[in-house]
Amino acid sequence: MSNSEEEKLQTLPLLPIKNSVLFPTLLMPINAGRPASIAAIEAALATEEKELVVFAQRDASIDEPQAGDLYTIGTKAVVKKMARGRGGIEAVLLGVERVVLIKVEQDGTYQRARVRPLPIIEEKSTEIEALHREVIDLATRAVELTQPQAAAGMAQLIASAKEPLRLVYMLAPMFSLELEKEQALLEAATVTDTLRLMHAYLSHELQVLELRSKIASEAQTEMSKEQRDYLLRQQLKAIQKELGGENPEQNELTLLRERVEKADLPEDVRKEVERELGRLERLPPAAPDYNVGRTYLDLVLELPWKTATEDVLDIGRARTVLDEDHYDLREIKDRILEHLGVLKLNPTAKSPILCFVGPPGVGKTSLGQSIARALGRKFERLSLGGLHDEAELRGHRRTYIGAMPGRIIQAIRRAGVNNPVLMLDEVDKIGHDFRGDPAAALLEILDPEQNRTFRDNYIDLPFDLSKIFFITTANTLDTIARPLLDRMELLRLSGYSEEEKVEIAKRYLIPRQIKEAGLQPDHVTLESEALKAIVSLYTREAGVRQLERTIGRVTRKIAVLHAEGKKDPVTVTRDNLAEWLGPRRFSTDQARKQLPAGVATGLAWTETGGDVLYIEATLLPSGRGLTLTGQLGEVMQESARAAQSYIWSHAEELGIDRSLFRRYGVHIHVPAGATPKDGPSAGVTMATALASIYSRFPARVDTAMTGEITLTGLVLPIGGVKEKVLAARRMGMKRVILPRDNEKDLSELPDTVAKEMEFIFADKIEDVLTAAIPQLGKHFSTLEQAAS
Amino acid sequence: MPVIFGAAQSVTERLWRPAADIYQTRDGWIIKYAVAGVKPEDMKIAIKGSAITVSGFRRDWKLEEGCTYYAMEISYNRFERTIELPCLLDGAEVRMEARDGILIVRLKCRGVNP
Repeated sequence: MSNSEEEKLQTLPLLPIKNSVLFPTLLMPINAGRPASIAAIEAALATEEKELVVFAQRDASIDEPQAGDLYTIGTKAVVKKMARGRGGIEAVLLGVERVVLIKVEQDGTYQRARVRPLPIIEEKSTEIEALHREVIDLATRAVELTQPQAAAGMAQLIASAKEPLRLVYMLAPMFSLELEKEQALLEAATVTDTLRLMHAYLSHELQVLELRSKIASEAQTEMSKEQRDYLLRQQLKAIQKELGGENPEQNELTLLRERVEKADLPEDVRKEVERELGRLERLPPAAPDYNVGRTYLDLVLELPWKTATEDVLDIGRARTVLDEDHYDLREIKDRILEHLGVLKLNPTAKSPILCFVGPPGVGKTSLGQSIARALGRKFERLSLGGLHDEAELRGHRRTYIGAMPGRIIQAIRRAGVNNPVLMLDEVDKIGHDFRGDPAAALLEILDPEQNRTFRDNYIDLPFDLSKIFFITTANTLDTIARPLLDRMELLRLSGYSEEEKVEIAKRYLIPRQIKEAGLQPDHVTLESEALKAIVSLYTREAGVRQLERTIGRVTRKIAVLHAEGKKDPVTVTRDNLAEWLGPRRFSTDQARKQLPAGVATGLAWTETGGDVLYIEATLLPSGRGLTLTGQLGEVMQESARAAQSYIWSHAEELGIDRSLFRRYGVHIHVPAGATPKDGPSAGVTMATALASIYSRFPARVDTAMTGEITLTGLVLPIGGVKEKVLAARRMGMKRVILPRDNEKDLSELPDTVAKEMEFIFADKIEDVLTAAIPQLGKHFSTLEQAAS
Repeated sequence: MPVIFGAAQSVTERLWRPAADIYQTRDGWIIKYAVAGVKPEDMKIAIKGSAITVSGFRRDWKLEEGCTYYAMEISYNRFERTIELPCLLDGAEVRMEARDGILIVRLKCRGVNP
């Protein structure tokens, strides 16, 4: 320690203070009551300079602090003023400079401290300047928040502190910082540190203050908004009263109550409705729940809990109605009439749940309408195509915003009765995703045992669906879930034959299209031959939609002529058809004229009806094995392999040279190559094609075939017989080979077709091959002769 | 370079500020300082530019054995008072006089008074 510093050492009376720090340059009023403090001040007063040192106590609860209880950095001060009063001394101290405590010694009743001045190190830097300005800014803002009235004066005071250090010392007591923070400010080694500390404290303080004022102002706006709303509502009421009207909400509730009283509701529903109404009456109309409750009650009251239409149980009338609307479809019409008969005898009979399966355009949807008409019931339909959310069927719970009942309940509300014919269209096209599977919800709806107490999520009351006559429609059964399929009575509507189509056109389509075009029936004559040509040359479909559109084209063109003033009746014949419809779009003569060895004619079923397809087989010199092309599914590929194995193992009987199998591979192709194909029903056709290519005998060109085969050569039954036979006929085939078990299905065919075609029923593959390949047939018969 | 400078030091120089009256005369200024109880040898005057600074030290003394303070309003210890005048004072003629606890400073300026 240098001499000059030695000189600066001073011993002064020590005044410990609680809860605050005296900063140099600042005045501080104190109130000394402790005998030691009083003695220390008196000792200072007895000197010429009136100097003492002030140290803050670490712990305010200690009354006689020792050296260890004090912070080691304190302030030298001068007593500016003093006065005695109430057993103590009130004094004003002026902080002079920072000092560090070296030693404490007891002197009678008070302590003296040996201290050394601790001047602050200051660098002049841009950081100090930046911090200085920032602190001024923060402090001004904080003052504005705490004391808005005094803000202007305080801001001036703050800005007047030219020295950064003095600014900090001045601000510290202003924001009543905690003792630790004040002491840290006093102890900071440099001005920069002091400013940094103060900046941090102020930022924190400001954040707290801003948050506080935000909370306060929010509370205030909320309050004032509510008060405003209340006032406005009161004014509105007053205005309404003045105008002579009643309180609209009250009015609405009265009306609602009247409706509840009048409504014919089941007991449990009434109870729930009363409860909801009571809740509504207690709610202020502005409450969000009020509207929810009101719409709910509206819906519940509108639902036909007990309303039903009376069934018309006149079987004769029903038959007439069904025949008026649809041609043929005997099976379905009979089913409807059966149900009517049952209802007549047993009025509480369960309604059936029907499923119409068939290609598009065969009249599934319109059949539903005419069933409703025949029964005298209301008709509602909803399409399930693409539906992928279970909530669409079963509704959302009322707690959701914008909740609605499901489609089923909505349809019943539209119908206004609880026993409509409800048609669920496209049940095979229901989607499903992560939101659930609507098909699963349908399981409950379509189960007569469960749907008596169907609970829509929105209504949350059991509704009896068992009186509803459900009809679903589908194009295919493959995509319908098994359990769902199990609940429905399947009725197939297969495609129409050419004759049926002509008949349908004559009875329904032409009159309708003539009416659509605004013509009179005597303006147009479509000859039967022309209709046949339209059916076979301009359309290709299982149903009659395209046919109706094509007829519509003809009638529209005639309407144009009429509009131009040419009023002569028009007759459309087969010969002038091209004038109306342009060149024909399909050819009946797509059947091949001649088949080379290795080609066989198969029959396929598609969603749009039947089709004829040729299966081609060829030998591959130096190839190996079996190659399959033409987008064949797994079942079809296996079926091809089974056919091949059968032919190989029966080569002897078929008169086939075994060495061919070793020398050649075989390739089977099924055109058209772009259409995916699957199913076992082409088994016999592939076997025939293989037999033909190995034996080099061609198959008959006028013979089509279908049937599944087994490895031992049995022919198993297949589906879609009607469509397949109709397709064969359309293509000009004369003979059709069918599995024996499908013989019964021929009853579905129109008589004209059944008469025209020759049917061969096969039990085993030999039967098929004999019928399809004439030369092989001869071979077999010689074999049999040899055997006998 | 850190500079040791004293915010505190500057405070030690002016723990209190005496009141002053300023008179203008034909050829200068007369300033009266209320510095009762300050010994003349404890005071000094400094002139720089147009500013005149009086600084000093008021020491308390014991009036009687056995007496203690009951109240205190007079400031002791260091004082300093700087007065800025509207003319340059460098080279001015300065006369000091202590009378009845008042320090009288007479300044004769050669410069032109505004």
